[in-house]
Amino acid sequence: MGAVSLRDTVEGALAEMRASGFDEAQATIVARRQDEVNIALNEPSLLRSTDSQRLLLLGILDGRRASTELTDLHADSVREGVQALLAAARSAPQDAANKVSSGQKARIVQGPQESDVALLTEKARELLEFGKSHAPKVILGEALAAHTLVRSHTLTSGGSDLESQAGHHTIDLFGTAREGQKTSSFAAAGGDTHDIGAHHATEFFGIAELLTHLERSIQTHPIGGQFVGDVVLAPAAVADLVEWLLGQLCDEALIAGSSVYRDRVGEAVGSPLLTLRSRFDAPGVTALTMDAFVAGPVEVLGQGVLKTLTPSLYGSLKTGLPHVPTAAGGWELLAGDTPRETLVSDTRKGALVGRLSMGRPASSGDFSGVIKNSFAIDGGKVGDALSETMITGNVARMLKDVLAVSRERIDTGALVLPWVRVGGLQFS
Amino acid sequence: MVDGNLVSNARMVEAGASARVYEGGYWGFASSSAKDGDKVREVTDLARRNAKAMSKFGTRKRLDLPNGTYRGEHEYQGRAPFTAAECAERLAAIHAWAKANCPALKSTRIQAADEHHRKHVTTSGGSDAVISIQRALVYIHFIAEDAEGSPVEVMETVTGKGHLGDLDWSLDALEPKLAALYEHLEAKRHAVPARGGLQHVVMAPHLAGILAHEAMGHPCEADLVLGGSVTGDLVGKRVASDLITMVDFAHTYEGEEVVVPVYCDDEGTPGTDAVLIKDGMLTGFMSSRETASRLGIAATGSARAYAPSDEPLVRMRNTAILPGKSKLDDMVAGIEDGYLLLRTGNGQADSTTEFMFAISLGYEVKNGRIGRAIKDTTMSGSAIKVLSSADAVSDDMQWNSGGYCGKKQPMVVSMGGPAIRAQVHMGGE
Repeated sequence: MGAVSLRDTVEGALAEMRASGFDEAQATIVARRQDEVNIALNEPSLLRSTDSQRLLLLGILDGRRASTELTDLHADSVREGVQALLAAARSAPQDAANKVSSGQKARIVQGPQESDVALLTEKARELLEFGKSHAPKVILGEALAAHTLVRSHTLTSGGSDLESQAGHHTIDLFGTAREGQKTSSFAAAGGDTHDIGAHHATEFFGIAELLTHLERSIQTHPIGGQFVGDVVLAPAAVADLVEWLLGQLCDEALIAGSSVYRDRVGEAVGSPLLTLRSRFDAPGVTALTMDAFVAGPVEVLGQGVLKTLTPSLYGSLKTGLPHVPTAAGGWELLAGDTPRETLVSDTRKGALVGRLSMGRPASSGDFSGVIKNSFAIDGGKVGDALSETMITGNVARMLKDVLAVSRERIDTGALVLPWVRVGGLQFS
Repeated sequence: MVDGNLVSNARMVEAGASARVYEGGYWGFASSSAKDGDKVREVTDLARRNAKAMSKFGTRKRLDLPNGTYRGEHEYQGRAPFTAAECAERLAAIHAWAKANCPALKSTRIQAADEHHRKHVTTSGGSDAVISIQRALVYIHFIAEDAEGSPVEVMETVTGKGHLGDLDWSLDALEPKLAALYEHLEAKRHAVPARGGLQHVVMAPHLAGILAHEAMGHPCEADLVLGGSVTGDLVGKRVASDLITMVDFAHTYEGEEVVVPVYCDDEGTPGTDAVLIKDGMLTGFMSSRETASRLGIAATGSARAYAPSDEPLVRMRNTAILPGKSKLDDMVAGIEDGYLLLRTGNGQADSTTEFMFAISLGYEVKNGRIGRAIKDTTMSGSAIKVLSSADAVSDDMQWNSGGYCGKKQPMVVSMGGPAIRAQVHMGGE
């Protein structure tokens, strides 16, 4: 199906919804095509090609809302889907906050539009060769190089017309290191980029460092004892903090009243070293929202001060808070001015944390988690790889207790994050 | 429904065709959301071309894949599904009950979902099967504030085989559970931090299931065994106390069809139970055709794909620790200074068998008596050490099928178990 057909399909669906009596309607078609070269157990294993189309319909009738998603796009199926949607909407409670977007216009074309399986093959080969030569004890359980093209077109009864054609490349890997009968923890790295050909595969997303660190993680020791210390969080662990913060700013937490930041806009909720901004044009992201708005630039934290909450249109109408459209991903924590090695050398006792293995932190921010792919820090020096070591703290508190932010960052597409040193964590 | 507002009223249908080909030692896979005859042929041709294209990596020895076959149809037959209106009414009734009966409640979050999977699997080896999985889920969250104004949350789940129409989630049936949930919420508003470090705990059946899944289930998936999991060297060796027997059931437990029946997997291999631990000894793994061939073991029918665009991977089905002979009350009474852990959030596994999962509801136990609630924490440990320290296993058994297992793709699984008393590492002060 070409670009014209996408428009035809979505126009047809919107017309069907209007003819069925919906007061307001939104129709989106998403066509996704992907090629993916896979590695399993240190060997090339699989070439996977997928091609899918989905039609997403949202209708509002007398303030009552329902949505549906279909993959059978034949006219009869769409007609049937619209009738089922109408029945579902009629049964929903009335809610004055149910609205669709109006007057939004965008046509976004970004990233590589064509798949090149030979290039993906070359990148998979680079991962395998690097493993053999630089990290021979590592077993790549799974790894992949992929190209994805997502084309979407959204129309609303309010005249919004949003079209995107976004391509990106992906490299992901997951593995362990093994020597004799000893094995390391799992480790994973990966992300999305617009130009997979720009660098060697292992120069993306911190992959080379991860693989070599993994070999040093076969022999592990518990940190020993219980104490309060510092952590130097690698970007993958910083992501957990950022995701919790963003979760506190959006609809569910705001409507439920469980957000600890509901009334804190304009206040310092983090260290002055933290500035968190959107980058909605990142690889794998498009600057459009699920409720059909163009997502403009947003600064969530500016030198630690909470600049905004991020309710959708529904969340905004429900809570009375200003509507702030945000895309499904695409955030960056600005780099600091501290060299990464200084974060470690300034830490008297604690750990360099590669990954946090934990449940979703509580609404209050309380959490405890096992630190994985991590190393002890003693007297400013990185020591043994750790096992069976937990840290306990509160994410909201950690955001305030940031002591330093690194100059260096890792860009995984959806997130660009530095290393961050945080004080006052309970080790056990 | 968030605090009485129906924020999502959605129905999703995903369909498609996929083909996987093994040729020259490589796999080719293709899928499409269209599934008419021409498209199936196209997809099959593309899968074959993809397998050939992998030969750019060089020649590769073709493995001798085991070839069990299965023919049959297993469609779920139950009551008529609920309409969206019936679901919305039920959600509103639960919210209204909570608002009327729970004075300290700040808000509610309630979700009801039906999930149906139906596949037709045909293989060149002769398998031809229609298989289906149907489960229903109700999640109920109650949210209040503690003395400092911080949010406190508790959750109850009702899950089972069938549609929401098959599940008993009428207000009459739920009322005792909702009242108990509110009691827990009140207790948790005054919760104390858990003590960090090694603790003697009773894990309720809900936790034993996730212990089975995360702690020893994942390390016993044959692809992870081949990928370096420590379990690879432990077959025939003791990995748990002799009170522990753990099985990944294919489709039937004690004569009843389980929540996630896998009579045949997505490679057409008949589903057979995988006995992972027998009386404390590691006995086997869950496998696909390729991993079975590489390990020289039988294929257990554990190769499963979630969506039409997903290739089959080794996945758990219905993983459980089997009941023992102890009584839960006696197990709690036997704790001098420890915890009773009742509810869990998500969990994670590791190749080392070091696992963790979130504890969202638990209580102190002092001299065999249940005391104060504890704040949200995390429980972790080496599964081998934890299961080896098990000193009592209760005689009851609970199955749960909420949420998804994540491993490249999501997957519908169920997990079950009795209560277990053991030493675990707790996060805390």
